[in-house]
Amino acid sequence: MKKISFKLIVGMLAIAALGGCGRRGQAADGGKQVVVGVSLLNLSSEFIVMLNEAMEAKAGELGVKLIVNDAQRSAERQIQQVEGFIAQRVDVIILNPCEVDASSPAVDKALAAGIPIINLNSETKAVPTAFVGSRDEESARIAMEYIAQRLDGRGGVVMMQGFMGQAAQLKRDEGAREVLAKHPGLTLLACQTAEWDRAKAMSLMENWIQSHGAGIKAVFAQNDEMGMGALLALERAKLKDQVVVTSVDAIADALQAVKDGRLDATVFQDARGQGGTAVELAVKIARKEPYEKETFIPFKLVTKDNAGEVR
Amino acid sequence: MLPNPLLQLRNVSKSFAGVKALEEVRLDVEAGRVHALMGENGAGKSTLMKILGGLHQPDAGEIRFKGRRIHHRSPHDALRLGIAMIHQELLPFRDLSVAANIGMGREATRWFPGWLDHGAMNREATTLLSRLGVPIEPTRRMRELGVAEMQTVEIVKALAHEASVIIMDEPTTALSEREVAALFDVIRELKQRGVAVIYISHKMDEIFRIADTITVMRDGHHVATRPAAELAERELIRLMVGRDPAQRAAVPGNPGAPVLEVRGLTLPGRFHDVSFTLRRGEILGVGGLMGAGRTEVANALYGLAPATVGEIRVAGKTVRIASPADALKAGIALVTEDRKRFGLVPRMSVQQNLSLASMRTRWIDRRAEAAVADDQIRKFSIKAAGRDQPVVNLSGGNQQKVVIAKALLTEPEILILDEPTRGIDVGAKAEIHSLISRLARTGKAILVISSELPELLSLSDRLLVMREGEVTAELDPLHTSQEEIMSFAMPL
Amino acid sequence: MTKESGIVATLMKSWGLAIALVAIGVALSFAHPGFLTVPNLLNVARQISINGILAVGVTLVLLTGGVDLSLGSVVALAGVVAAGMAHPGQYPVAVPIALGVAAGALCGATNGLMVTCGRVPSFIATLGMMTAARGLALVVSKGRPVSNLSPEFTRLGGDVGMVPIPAMVLVGIALVTFVVLSKLRLGRYLYAVGGNAEAARASGINVGAIQMFAYTACGALAGVAGVVLAARITTGQPNAGVGYELDAIAAVVIGGTSLSGGVGTVGGTILGALLVGVINNGLDLMNVSSYYQAIVKGVIIVGAVWLDRNRGKS
Repeated sequence: MKKISFKLIVGMLAIAALGGCGRRGQAADGGKQVVVGVSLLNLSSEFIVMLNEAMEAKAGELGVKLIVNDAQRSAERQIQQVEGFIAQRVDVIILNPCEVDASSPAVDKALAAGIPIINLNSETKAVPTAFVGSRDEESARIAMEYIAQRLDGRGGVVMMQGFMGQAAQLKRDEGAREVLAKHPGLTLLACQTAEWDRAKAMSLMENWIQSHGAGIKAVFAQNDEMGMGALLALERAKLKDQVVVTSVDAIADALQAVKDGRLDATVFQDARGQGGTAVELAVKIARKEPYEKETFIPFKLVTKDNAGEVR
Repeated sequence: MLPNPLLQLRNVSKSFAGVKALEEVRLDVEAGRVHALMGENGAGKSTLMKILGGLHQPDAGEIRFKGRRIHHRSPHDALRLGIAMIHQELLPFRDLSVAANIGMGREATRWFPGWLDHGAMNREATTLLSRLGVPIEPTRRMRELGVAEMQTVEIVKALAHEASVIIMDEPTTALSEREVAALFDVIRELKQRGVAVIYISHKMDEIFRIADTITVMRDGHHVATRPAAELAERELIRLMVGRDPAQRAAVPGNPGAPVLEVRGLTLPGRFHDVSFTLRRGEILGVGGLMGAGRTEVANALYGLAPATVGEIRVAGKTVRIASPADALKAGIALVTEDRKRFGLVPRMSVQQNLSLASMRTRWIDRRAEAAVADDQIRKFSIKAAGRDQPVVNLSGGNQQKVVIAKALLTEPEILILDEPTRGIDVGAKAEIHSLISRLARTGKAILVISSELPELLSLSDRLLVMREGEVTAELDPLHTSQEEIMSFAMPL
Repeated sequence: MTKESGIVATLMKSWGLAIALVAIGVALSFAHPGFLTVPNLLNVARQISINGILAVGVTLVLLTGGVDLSLGSVVALAGVVAAGMAHPGQYPVAVPIALGVAAGALCGATNGLMVTCGRVPSFIATLGMMTAARGLALVVSKGRPVSNLSPEFTRLGGDVGMVPIPAMVLVGIALVTFVVLSKLRLGRYLYAVGGNAEAARASGINVGAIQMFAYTACGALAGVAGVVLAARITTGQPNAGVGYELDAIAAVVIGGTSLSGGVGTVGGTILGALLVGVINNGLDLMNVSSYYQAIVKGVIIVGAVWLDRNRGKS
């Protein structure tokens, strides 16, 4: 026991020392290298991985040093990571919040320590130095408007919700329902959660096909994973040609499905735009240059016509 | 006799899964007397006591306590009424003090609810312990106490609840003679205080030393209730077994070639340099006090806790025994002393337990397995609802028979029996004794460990005595005495 | 106890769950006309397949008195490993299947080693594996779903005629496991180890080997589930299967298997999985809100076990 903990401590000290060295490194142009701490929602989600890659690319371009932490969906872990960044005295923190309320203390702590913090992709209750992202409700609005247009404003619609109570689910619900209210001809036949999960979405769609059958004219899934699941279930039931399926995020699988004419539409959330802008903003803030308080990267509807242009 | 007994049971019946355990049993228990309850295993004693103790509810019949009909539904209810049970296996809180154990369930508090008043609890414990004349320090941890002392604490705990009936189920199983005497002093003290004691035991001499009244049960029925003074031992056995006890004729075996040779067997801290030879058809007895290392030697020979030094030879060939599987392969079987721990899988059926150590084929032939089980049930007269009954529902003696039958089904050449008759009634005991003799006559080599000297003397062809992990003597049972054995067994 | 009530009690004991299932089925067929139709029942069969396969596997581990919390992560790992080998024109379809199952078996064997040789409690060992296998799945897939799978592979998640292949896989696995548990010595030893490990050892049983078998078989079945899931959703998802272990354990426990080991049957496990699946399906059909669905499921898990523990009495 004693031996092990000794080794552990030595290891931790070594890591701390290495971290310290890196921070004092100088950029090629002779100015002080900007160090940015990044806490991400969850690196096992494809969209977040894309966000991360966009930031890494931009950071390489600008000579910024990124320290990337994965909060694995835990707001508490996220707060600890931000506390870590504060202790390391990074120049700017980029926070990709796990939750609206629970991640707020992270923002407060950074500001209290005098370190600027940028919220990326989603919001927190506490107001950060700057925000980069997109309006989630807008994505749902775009997708639902597309359905309304395809159905000429009439027909049965089902909606697959994300993990209940999460900000993205609440906002996408809000956006979708706004459009439904505008088109009284569209009736919401059913609305259930498939917890962002492809397998669960597939089962849910199979059950809906049983209970509503040909009454379903369109499916709106609040993310692509669920959209793909619904698509598979419809294809297996040989009903796809009668149903319009749309979802949000434009992950690789979904884009391919749109190109192949299987998925009708997805909504592109510009990961590269968001990630890149966040890093650019961080550099501006660190160099005390003027910057935008809020940057909204617009969503884009992706259908077969423009699927090739995305990314 | 008093006209109004303290506790009256009338026509109490109880069955489990369709098997009648008790049928219209009656029992009168008077204050200030020791009432012994006797019967073979499976006669229904334990069930009756569990009903009294609130663990089971009777299917029919009534129980009157102090003249009023009672319906207690849990041990807690029973204790509140004043009926306490001292279990065969004690369940103390081992890391709490003696005083805390005594006060458990009615802790003294002060200042505000939940704040324990240790001082008051210690004072109460001291008073109660001294009232029974027991010198135990109330602040000691339970785990530091011997079994006898723990038992006394349980009794004191019952007194603290102002119990007027105390049930003792085989309280002396794990006690030395001196401790038994001390326990009996406590029981006499209880009598003085007007407490009724219901005493269950298989040991005849104890019954006649302590009991005032004896009730005999057989097959779930009440057979007889007599004053102890008017009952002869032979008559008591006849009542319990339902027939005259067959006297076992000690047939001297004729030992043959050495089957098991043990040389210099050592497990540090347990036993040291143990050597002996066991021959075909021989019964070798091992005597000694508890903790002398006898069970440890048996477990080492069987591979449960292998020895680190020494040699074991079976039929002339050196064998390495690192696990029970090795032992079974070498033809060694063990009937363990701790059958709950090593002997049985409680929720498995009689059939499945019987065959467990002797399954020789990859596929199970259920029909053959059932036939073997029925055969064993008949041969050992195991009292069970059928071969599919889980062994956990059998009485202790019948479980022991299953363990022995299971060991024999492995067809061992060498059979080690560790306390084979502990906690078993006279009838079954005699059966097991004659079985052991029969096995020896068929050429099996048998090692018997027992703490009952008369058993060892009558059963063995040769006798080893162990003391503190070492063999101190090899004796001829025909030319020795209990006193001589004890002189080699007692620590110096 | 009269003879008749004895019969009723025995009937309830062995058929209680089946009776409950039929009762719920009847109630649902009145509540929704779409329930009692062949396509929908096939739907249920399809949807319980993954959970059923996992539940059969974890039954083996629970029988020995252990637990396996790594199932969900192993499903993900097996899924991405198989998917990585299942791109069109890459290898014959047997290769990804075999590798997925092997990955699962390897995780299971590692669990077994930790429990037997390492003497780590199964709860801890498999908790560690739960995290490690998830990480490994993310490493193997570089954090992204592995898609573009060959049609031969994804056909595993489809139907033959009207019968879903995942359901056929489940039935096959359940039958084999039933034979192992009831006809083979190995099965008897599994019960013995769970019922009393020390007595099993004293009966000459190699307890460690039996436990190794249970964990390895459970892992391999998780591998099968991972492969089938990847075929069904046509991707290997590194973040698939979160919480699947608890769904599987719930089905097993509803099916009457004791968490303390030594008691349980495959039939019970399948009934448990069916019960959960039927209720899920029924609630979806009736469009019951997600919030209430979660409550209903929780009540059923506890209720089934409560009934099981108490029907022996009274």
